[in-house]
Amino acid sequence: MTSSTPRRPGPVALAALAVWIGLLVFISLWVADQSLRWLPVQASNAAPLVDGLFSFETGVGTFVFLGVISVMGWVMLVHRAEKYDESDADPIEGNTRLEVIWTAIPFVLVMAIAWYAIQVSTELGVLGPMEHIHLRDAGEQQGGYPGDRLPAEQVEVVARQWSWEFRYPAQNVSSTELHLELDRPITFRLVSEDVLHGFFIPAFRLKQDVIPGRAIDFSLTPTRLGRYRLRDSQFSGTWFAANQADVVVETAADHAAWLKQAAAAPLQSGLSVASDEYAEHQRNPRGGWPTVVPAPPPQVNVPGSSSLPHDA
Amino acid sequence: MTSTALSPEPPATWRRYFGFSTDAKVIGIQYIVVAFFFFLVGGLLAMIIRGELITPASDLVDRTVYNGLYTMHGTIMLFLFIFPVLNGLNNLLIPTMIGAPDMAFPRLNTAAFWLVPVFGILLIASFFVPSGPATSGWWSYPPVSLQNPLGQLINGEFLWVLAVALSGVSSIMGAVNFVTTILRMRAPGMGFFRMPVFCWTALAAQSLQLIGLPALTGGAVMLLLDLSVGTSFYRPEGGGDPVLYQHFFWFYSHPAVYVIILPVFGIFSELFPVYSRKPLFGYVYVCLASFIIVGLGLIVWVHHMFPSGVTQWMRNLFMVTTMLIAVPTGVKVFAWLGTLWRGKIRLTTPMLFCLGGLFNFVFAGITGVMLATVPIDIHVSNTYFVVGHFHYVIYGAAVMGIFAAIYHWFPKFTGRMPYEGLGKLHFLLTFVGANLNFLPMHPLGLMGMPRRVSSYDPEFAFWNVLASLGAFLLGVSIIPFLLNMISSWARGPRAPHNPWSAIGLEWLLPSPPAEDNFGEHVPTVISRPYGYGSGEPLVEHQAEIERALTLQEANR
Amino acid sequence: MTSTPVPPSGESVAHGEGQHASHNLTGFIIFLCSESVIFLAFFSGYAILRLSALDWLPAGVDGLEWRMPLINTVVLVSSSLTMVVAEHFKGKEKIWLFRGFWLLTMAMGAYFLYGQAVEWSGLTFGFTSGTFGGTFYLLTGFHGLHVLTGILLMGLMLAKSFVPGNYNGGEEGVKATSLFWHFVDVIWIILFVLLYVWRA
Repeated sequence: MTSSTPRRPGPVALAALAVWIGLLVFISLWVADQSLRWLPVQASNAAPLVDGLFSFETGVGTFVFLGVISVMGWVMLVHRAEKYDESDADPIEGNTRLEVIWTAIPFVLVMAIAWYAIQVSTELGVLGPMEHIHLRDAGEQQGGYPGDRLPAEQVEVVARQWSWEFRYPAQNVSSTELHLELDRPITFRLVSEDVLHGFFIPAFRLKQDVIPGRAIDFSLTPTRLGRYRLRDSQFSGTWFAANQADVVVETAADHAAWLKQAAAAPLQSGLSVASDEYAEHQRNPRGGWPTVVPAPPPQVNVPGSSSLPHDA
Repeated sequence: MTSTALSPEPPATWRRYFGFSTDAKVIGIQYIVVAFFFFLVGGLLAMIIRGELITPASDLVDRTVYNGLYTMHGTIMLFLFIFPVLNGLNNLLIPTMIGAPDMAFPRLNTAAFWLVPVFGILLIASFFVPSGPATSGWWSYPPVSLQNPLGQLINGEFLWVLAVALSGVSSIMGAVNFVTTILRMRAPGMGFFRMPVFCWTALAAQSLQLIGLPALTGGAVMLLLDLSVGTSFYRPEGGGDPVLYQHFFWFYSHPAVYVIILPVFGIFSELFPVYSRKPLFGYVYVCLASFIIVGLGLIVWVHHMFPSGVTQWMRNLFMVTTMLIAVPTGVKVFAWLGTLWRGKIRLTTPMLFCLGGLFNFVFAGITGVMLATVPIDIHVSNTYFVVGHFHYVIYGAAVMGIFAAIYHWFPKFTGRMPYEGLGKLHFLLTFVGANLNFLPMHPLGLMGMPRRVSSYDPEFAFWNVLASLGAFLLGVSIIPFLLNMISSWARGPRAPHNPWSAIGLEWLLPSPPAEDNFGEHVPTVISRPYGYGSGEPLVEHQAEIERALTLQEANR
Repeated sequence: MTSTPVPPSGESVAHGEGQHASHNLTGFIIFLCSESVIFLAFFSGYAILRLSALDWLPAGVDGLEWRMPLINTVVLVSSSLTMVVAEHFKGKEKIWLFRGFWLLTMAMGAYFLYGQAVEWSGLTFGFTSGTFGGTFYLLTGFHGLHVLTGILLMGLMLAKSFVPGNYNGGEEGVKATSLFWHFVDVIWIILFVLLYVWRA
């Protein structure tokens, strides 16, 4: 056994190792910094928190990944068996101290990440409480504007196969384009009339499933002017991919003006790519299997547009 | 070599692969061949999916067809490829590694295997019913899965649930068999801590099947009743709860990932020592880590439902349990690195697949920790980030590990050597293809592209084109594999009993082994596995056994 | 393939045809553990649906009648005891007493099924009457299927007891059936508590 005890690494080897680790740390920090650019623009107060956590984990992850890959690369370069060398290597069966160390390090690391994530979660929770209200009967979510039950600043979001409708009960306005006021907290009341949908605005970093039979209260604060995409994130059937809407974040003045203008506009069919495509298919059948018929486009004051350029 | 290779073999050796055999080694190969047939079907569907996604518009196939294709791709790959192929390896390896003549219940084994083509045909048949196949994803979440536009009793979703239920029956039959075999039929002297790690991981994975699968079966029964009888377990309009199904589904389907990856950990643990010529580093820790993963794996399922509306404390709890899984998994990764360290590395095809698989697995582990983090998960769940993550796990790590296993044990069970050149080409194409296919999915997910979409906004086009090219490369990568398997089995060089100088009971059998393996002469195990470099024999009378095998090979 | 000429190793090999019977019992116990998870899934589904329901009972239904099910429960639970007695007599090789008590157990199981059928036919709600009706019929029906399976298994064991020398090679069949029957009983007790005893 004495002959197979590991050679003590010399000072040169230790220095090289230190330089290498330093290089990995540097690369990891750089990747962590870069990782912020992989995400869409930050358009809500949740976004910087989520992005900070993501950047942190990317940095840690890069270091771990490169560390493991370095070892793999090293052994492939240095510890390759010589040609025709059929002999075995030294029978090192394990090392309890090492085992303890490399059990403890990941444990501490993931618990640190979890602690950081819980802090962020708590802060996000303060920013956007999420509350479930069981609807007594499904009919309650339909018909009319339940303005008497909702606080004025709430927007009711109705998800359907396949359209999004946004109702502003205080102004008696409805739209298929979501307009929000900059830096003003807003609470949504998410309901679905048919199946599961997902309320997902990537620029806001927030996502919440919309569950039929429940009304879910969901809050956020937009922090950046612009036009963003809202995407359905929980598979909802044939036109799932086309079930998107635009989200416009505007100044308080613009928002007030928009609401005023919208209230005066007559009701018309809102945006529904699914309805349009379905009608087209009825005219020119192009194969495919039977599908659920899209719900008729909601009658809204403002249909909006889905073809304008968006920021994220 | 050529003269022996051309010598006619008894016809029974190939005919038995087409009948109701009860020999685990025959059933194992039947499993693997059937699984690869469905792998090609599922892969073809993936090619069409990536063909559709190479452009932003929905222009290659109708949206209903796209939804059917991705649903069937996932279902086929999981229930008809990866579970059967792993059961095939279990059948080949468990009895030979522990020195048993066969499985504990050979006829149950036959029945479990023959259910696979039955439910496979049932699932494929759903392409030909008027309603088309199931289109609600392999999760089959209600209420969308309960929508039945034609109103017919026999519809795609109905056939899907039936196929999944039969797959569950088959898997339970298999699991009872594997667990009983490992618990009761080990060679004399083979205590649990002399058992190869592959058997440990198989035992762990099959225990998970036994605990998890019934929950899915129960959930699927209720789904079937909702769909066909009109009950309202999951129908909100009848007071049901659609989220309840998600709990049933993920209570099994998250552990299912460990059912897949644990045996692959076993394969890594078997192969790294062989091709590093060193004992597995920290054998006992690696064995125990599997069961820690089983325990933790059963209490993490809610992390699939963070955006479904679970309370904050549940989110935090399940985040912590999920992250804890990184610890036993890390122990395994470090143990493999410790095994490689100062070894005598031989970069054979199986070793390359293992190293590539480990590379991909570490990457997938890091994105896995990110996904466990609630705030990040809220942003990326149900996006392509998740698709990228699990394809790194399933294809990048598990399928590559399975290829490694096939190349490594091919000589043992066919008696022929696979070709190294084709094998290395296969590795190169797979490794490059998988990374090119699945890496671009991560930026797509971070940018906010939802999964399961048949069309997308133009800003996602660049990464999607790359991913599609990677997918097509993966499609090509299977050609050298098939060529290698067919040609080397037909006329490859004869394999000696231990071509890789590996240590293990299976390498003390002739290649291919006799039907009852060791028969009456099961050797007594006297040391731990992976005794590379120690010079200690694994079993009593090892030298005599090896001499007899070598003599027999010289005379054939 | 010819068998490898290997020197015989020390002790005789610990497996082969003779050992398979005990594998059967191991396998069966593993299967039962797995089977219990299905019931666990149904139980938890029932509890979650019930706890989150706004109107648990469908209109016109005010709870389940519990007296007759209680009699049924007593019969089923006692049948576990008669089965233990039957096994005891088998151990003492009093084969006719074994058959008698075994048959009594079967009869009690059959009575339970009969009682269940009578209860079902008197109910005013159906399988599709909301989650209440759905879970009620699902739980009792799935359990009933197990009772039926148990009775059929007992019938098989009873028939096998007439095969001469049946118990020479082991008695795993009887053991497994009895385990299964106790399992079915325990499940019923939980079911009874959940369905009949648990009042809102």
